[in-house]
Amino acid sequence: MTKPLASPIVGSVASPVADPAAANDPAAGTPAAGPAPRRPIVARLSTRPPMLAAGLAVALALPWLIYPPVAMDIACWALFAVSLDLLLGFTGLLSFGHAAFWGTSAYVTGLVAVHAGVPFPVAVLGGTAAAALLAVPIGYLSVRLRGIYFAMVTLAFAQLVYFVVNQWRDVTGGENGLQGVPRELFGLDLSDPFFFYYVALPFVLAGLAVAWRIVHSPFGRVLVSIRDNTARAQALGYPTERYKLLAFVLSAALSGLAGGLFAISHGFASLQDVYWTTSGQVVMMVVLGGIGTLWGGAVGAGLVVALDDYLSTAGFQEVGIVTGGIFVVVVLVFRRGIWGTARQLVAPR
Amino acid sequence: MLEQAFNGLVGGAFLALLALGLAVIFGMLGVVNFAHGAFYMLGAFGAYVLLDSYGVSFWVALVAVPLALGVAGVVLERLFVRRLTPLDPLYNFLFTFGLALILQDVVKRQYGVQSQPYPRPAGLDGSVNLGLFDYPAYQVFVLAVSLAVCAAVWVVLARTRLGMIVRAATERPELTRALGIDVGRWVTPVFGFGIALAGLAGVLAAPMRAVNPLMGGDLIVTVFAVVVIGGLGSIFGSVAAGFGIGLVSALGNLYVPALSQTLVFILMAAVLLWRPAGLFGREDAPA
Amino acid sequence: MEVLGKAVALTATCALLAACGGGPGGGGGKISDDKIVLAVLNDQSGVYADLSGKSSVTAVEMAVADWKARLGDDAVTTDIEVVSVDHQNKPDIANSKAQELYDRQRADVILDVPTSSAALAVANVAKSKKKIFMDVGAATTALEGEQCNKYTFHYGYNTYMLANGTGATVTRDGAKNWYLVYPDYAFGQDMEASFTDAVKGAGGSIVRSDPAPFPNDNFSTFLLKAPGLSPKPQVIGTMQAGGDLVNLVKQYNEYKLRDKGIGLAVGLMFITDIHSLGPDALAGTKFTDAWYWNATPENRAWADEFQAKAGKRPSFPNAANYSAATQYLDAVQRAGTDGSDAVVEELEGHAFTDVFAKNGTIRPEDHLLTHDVSLAQVKPKSEVTEPWDYEKILSTIPAAEAFQPVSPDCSMG
Repeated sequence: MTKPLASPIVGSVASPVADPAAANDPAAGTPAAGPAPRRPIVARLSTRPPMLAAGLAVALALPWLIYPPVAMDIACWALFAVSLDLLLGFTGLLSFGHAAFWGTSAYVTGLVAVHAGVPFPVAVLGGTAAAALLAVPIGYLSVRLRGIYFAMVTLAFAQLVYFVVNQWRDVTGGENGLQGVPRELFGLDLSDPFFFYYVALPFVLAGLAVAWRIVHSPFGRVLVSIRDNTARAQALGYPTERYKLLAFVLSAALSGLAGGLFAISHGFASLQDVYWTTSGQVVMMVVLGGIGTLWGGAVGAGLVVALDDYLSTAGFQEVGIVTGGIFVVVVLVFRRGIWGTARQLVAPR
Repeated sequence: MLEQAFNGLVGGAFLALLALGLAVIFGMLGVVNFAHGAFYMLGAFGAYVLLDSYGVSFWVALVAVPLALGVAGVVLERLFVRRLTPLDPLYNFLFTFGLALILQDVVKRQYGVQSQPYPRPAGLDGSVNLGLFDYPAYQVFVLAVSLAVCAAVWVVLARTRLGMIVRAATERPELTRALGIDVGRWVTPVFGFGIALAGLAGVLAAPMRAVNPLMGGDLIVTVFAVVVIGGLGSIFGSVAAGFGIGLVSALGNLYVPALSQTLVFILMAAVLLWRPAGLFGREDAPA
Repeated sequence: MEVLGKAVALTATCALLAACGGGPGGGGGKISDDKIVLAVLNDQSGVYADLSGKSSVTAVEMAVADWKARLGDDAVTTDIEVVSVDHQNKPDIANSKAQELYDRQRADVILDVPTSSAALAVANVAKSKKKIFMDVGAATTALEGEQCNKYTFHYGYNTYMLANGTGATVTRDGAKNWYLVYPDYAFGQDMEASFTDAVKGAGGSIVRSDPAPFPNDNFSTFLLKAPGLSPKPQVIGTMQAGGDLVNLVKQYNEYKLRDKGIGLAVGLMFITDIHSLGPDALAGTKFTDAWYWNATPENRAWADEFQAKAGKRPSFPNAANYSAATQYLDAVQRAGTDGSDAVVEELEGHAFTDVFAKNGTIRPEDHLLTHDVSLAQVKPKSEVTEPWDYEKILSTIPAAEAFQPVSPDCSMG
């Protein structure tokens, strides 16, 4: 295996130069040598009913607070970010090419909707399946590598997908994008984005619920153990590569679900959906929200989409400086992310 | 066809220089520098600004700009990268990603997205007869410079104490430290050197490529693929892969132009299937 | 899974409530909300920012001011607002912002929108909201072809006009054999197809046509191939744009192909590209220009005004946006209302000449603006008398020849 200099995400027991500061670095909270007794991961995640109910209330109220198409965007990106956190925060794999799945699903969903005239959930299902299928070969080739290698390889694969989508112009429309994706649901009039948000929301919530369920399952616990110490997990007899691949495919499928809904919501799929900057954007959302907090990604998504929206209208030209600046600040001083910091402030000692 | 192959080597020269810088930085610090493309761009812009505002010639820029960027790299390492190095490399990767976005936009704000003019240096305007064909002198110069730099780096790595330390730190970091060698003091200069290499590639690119803020952005992904093919832990591998990919791309453009963009990534997938550590990488036992 | 159960229950309730959700308010009376809102949606931070970003907003503001001055008290209303939004070259942002502009900011017309995918997305929004969209910045012929609709207008230029102007005239001037190099994406492929038709139609032939990766900084392979082709091409037709064009031209000059008898014709060239490369790099290159600031005294006078406000010479999208805004306002004046259907009727078939469009007509069948365009040539540096004075106009291509016939794919919805 290629050697990483430090094991994924959190300080590793295996590193002989055990820097206590590093070992305690909070990304998802597994202090290797802290004075307080370790609380089990499951409980540390905010699964308390009041928090969940609050989140649900926000999700339901969103189109009243924010322009509905933007609210739908937030919902889609939130699911996308959560699915990435599944891979990043819980399996310890940074994929810098997740746009491949979001975007492929967007196109497949669009194509099914345009050509087959089925209810949109069926189209979205098609897109999700396509994303999951695409994840198998990419994941198979990539999970052999760890840490930063994994990130670079997924980035490069995503570029490959981008070029293919661009070249396959007859099917995808190339640079013009796939236009005119309809919203069909048994003849219901879904043209009002306000109404559509509530029709699509159950799917988003279902995706989020699946992510939650994965994390709170024996499978999820194995993933975390792989993240923390792959060698030990292997020693315990787990086929780590297979687990990683499965996590990758599940994460890709949920990203596909998000991307498919996004395509239906916008009525088109474009090259932007498979471009690497989209991969970077979702990573930023997860980092901003808090790696390994699962719901942090949703918070990050809300903030970034709202910020993008604001910057567009504010006539501010240097979006990159703001985006890059956020990345830099979060990585340097704010690594727990918003959710992580909030949780730490609220957590009883 | 020979001319095309030579052509490919020139294109590969840029890839090799950039891959070399990336590999050197990764070797010493474990940092994958996403901002490498941005420093390449800054190199080209540095040359442009020096010429446009101060009338400084290409030749002076060739030395001054990489030096200045090397210093900038040193400062960057001391102030920021150092803080993140003990943590998971992910953080430095993300930091450099953010940095790349910032640098790109700052330049865009100052100079707009349009390309800036930069002429070929006087003296290298014409063509050189290479026996079988005539070739633009400047491109021969680029190839010569990059080969010289790669050779010089190889000599340093193979023959000097510093080189020995860098190689040891790259291949067996814990063991090196355990042997009591102070790797730390070399980390900063080596980082600066890697950045300087990116800047050098940028200055070389200015007369023959479009000088605009976006010039590094798309190149960096190709460089990543090159480095994965060569083997991230191997400095020789990165350089060899750089020239090799340049060659293959040029020939690919000649015979199968429709595939040319995807060629690098197809190769990368093939290499990963066959040798996951890259062509020249080492299959290490997990730490 | 009680979470999911609660979610479903609450969602169902809310869905019922949401069914009463309101849509955008309709325009009532003569002038909706008693004011006209012109929205400029374009790229203010990406690749097109310099060409037509904030500068086009300035152009539209100029148009409004000039229109008010011209009509004085006769104007149907003097309450006119210009808003602008940056779509960052992202079609999904363009799509959302277009909806927001029409719904929330009560925009009566959206102008500009470069980048084909964004333009097509906005065209669909315009169609569903039944509000007017005049695209200036995008080149795709799909806007007046298969994606045409009643509320969308394509104003300024398209791939056919670019290819045909250059391809046909350069062929007729004596360059019979062509080698085409084009970027391998929709714009490049469209241009290549149009160029091929134009060249063949004028009696020339395409020796070879190669797709190049996009973006690309190394065109050596293609340039080195050229002299060896048989029959030897007299001209290389390049469809690259922006940074790619700059790369190609730089390398074209390095290989001294002009000295070897192989000229260069460019599909899409903006004056900003000439500025980037310096006139000497492109000296002698011919291309089709929709509008040049120094072509006539009238153009120049307007360009001087523009320079005073924007601090630089105008590109053709700037002028086209000015013209589109003016024609829109004139149409509102004629219709007496800013209701979309009435204004569309006034715009359709309208023939006019203004500072941008000479012999301009807005075709009723597909809402394409046809107008005279010029075949231009880049001056060598020695002939440049003032900043931005880069072009020499060789000939005028009349509107009927410059633009394509109505596409059978277009059916007005």
